[in-house]
Amino acid sequence: MIAFQDLEVRYGDTVALANLSLDLQDGIVGLLGPNGSGKSTLLKTLLGLLSPAKGTGQVLGVGLGSPDAARLRGRIGYMPEYDALIEDVSAFEQVAFWGELSGLPADSARDRAHEVLYFVGLDESRYRHVSGYSTGMRQRVKLAQALVHSPELVFMDEPTNGLDPEGRRRMLDLVLKVRAELGTGVILASHLLEDVERCADQLVILDKGHLKASGSMAGLRKMLAKRFELRFMDPLSDTQRIKLDELGRVLDDHHGLYDLELNGDATDAFRWANQVGAVLVQLTPRHDRLDEVLIRALHGDVAAVKEGN
Amino acid sequence: MPIYAPSLPPRPALDQGLPAALVIARFDIRRVLKQRVGRFFGFMFVGSLLIQLATLYVRHLLRTQSAFGGVRDFAAQVLPQGPEFHAGILTMSGWLTTLLWFQVALVGGGLVARDSLYRIRPLMYAHPVRPLDYLAAKGLFAAGLPFIILLPFAILPWGMSLLIAGTSGPISVWAPLYLVPSALLIALLMGAVTLGASSLAASPKAGFGWVLGISLGANALGGLLSGLLHQPAWMALSPQALVQAWPALLCRVTDPPLDWLPTLVGTTVHLVLWTYIAARRTRPSEAVL
Repeated sequence: MIAFQDLEVRYGDTVALANLSLDLQDGIVGLLGPNGSGKSTLLKTLLGLLSPAKGTGQVLGVGLGSPDAARLRGRIGYMPEYDALIEDVSAFEQVAFWGELSGLPADSARDRAHEVLYFVGLDESRYRHVSGYSTGMRQRVKLAQALVHSPELVFMDEPTNGLDPEGRRRMLDLVLKVRAELGTGVILASHLLEDVERCADQLVILDKGHLKASGSMAGLRKMLAKRFELRFMDPLSDTQRIKLDELGRVLDDHHGLYDLELNGDATDAFRWANQVGAVLVQLTPRHDRLDEVLIRALHGDVAAVKEGN
Repeated sequence: MPIYAPSLPPRPALDQGLPAALVIARFDIRRVLKQRVGRFFGFMFVGSLLIQLATLYVRHLLRTQSAFGGVRDFAAQVLPQGPEFHAGILTMSGWLTTLLWFQVALVGGGLVARDSLYRIRPLMYAHPVRPLDYLAAKGLFAAGLPFIILLPFAILPWGMSLLIAGTSGPISVWAPLYLVPSALLIALLMGAVTLGASSLAASPKAGFGWVLGISLGANALGGLLSGLLHQPAWMALSPQALVQAWPALLCRVTDPPLDWLPTLVGTTVHLVLWTYIAARRTRPSEAVL
């Protein structure tokens, strides 16, 4: 779907993306990173709006910076983070407009505008001006305009921005529906880990223009499945504490609560406790701590995620 | 692949639609037609055109009907014919062009500024739209609107003159050859100033201010310099003066407000300058995704 090698993008003397190499497969790719990490620059480059200073790459088989970049954008849908809505026009009119701008004939764009607004659940309010829409409805109009021309790939930039929990759930359901029913590849840029965790098959973490980590979510989950919290009846002696490293990598020690990445499976913990004469009273899996992986990646501990590839 | 309903036909090839520039320009025109300001100016221009046509008809009656013989001489004094009369068809003594400046400022001021305010332009560039398409669309709208408004003034009175009095009517048979190019040049000039001014503004209201500010400011500067240096050619700095000058020059008025050379230079400078500014201000690198 997308592949690039040694990609470097500059704004004058400032390096916005440095030596980025990635190979993203068809599916839902979560793009994570704090503000200024280079997510938007990467999207701009993939859309052909910025030319790389160095490196090569392809999006849907079209080379980055090639003259076909404008035509390539017809095969991509883009849902921006910001509003980007034409306030004094109905949702139907503007979705049809964006369809025409993607290269659809007028009649076809209007037909598809009806269909896609139905798809995102705005069929009954499609003739109302968007100025009267709620935040959730506005997000769905943005999604509809990104889908109206049946793109092969959709870039979604913070699709759940400003939504309440119910709105977030509906939007994430739509993201999954886009993939499941339309077969469209999705690049989901977000700073909300739960969103990425729920939807993505692959994960890319950027920070200050550098690739911090990448890998499949399945691999990441597999790696996370080895993480446990352990607590013992009595504090471990110095000898026991040293021997704990045989059980796995100690990531954190908080007043006797050990965060471990086990070398083997959970039964090893009991076996180890029996061997060293300790009484294990708590063994809790930590499958839900993707945020810690992100924090570790941002602090340079990339290996953990790469193991999950 | 159908988007949703199984009945939806497969997606057609994406190169069957209109060029992007035409899609954007048509969308902008539709929006303006739905606005109240569009209706107000529509009423004003149609009213002006009717007055123009009525004047022409009265002139014809005065000339041809013996019953009006008593006032004919008086009418000949207050309604002189000739190049000045022809040039005045497009300007209506400045009334029409002033109204047109207000209209392009109100409608065109937001042309690029609205896209900047609501961040529509970056989204356009995320579609198969090149910067040249965007600029062409906005330029087409900015120059097309005043041209479409001026065209009936250049054509209808002439047509009516031909209809009621044939080749001996009050308007020369060849008048469209001067009036249509004049209307085009006026429209291009207004369009370029509007496009550049709107690209400098952050909101439609600011765009309105920029258009009027450039138009009035350049007029004041031109007047000041031409007065101080005793050279009327400096008035070519003013788009307003250029708009008045073109019909006068093309209709060969005996004493035009500006000569050919300053008019040509001034028009070229304005067209190039404001188009360049608009092109710089609407580059994709200015688009923040």
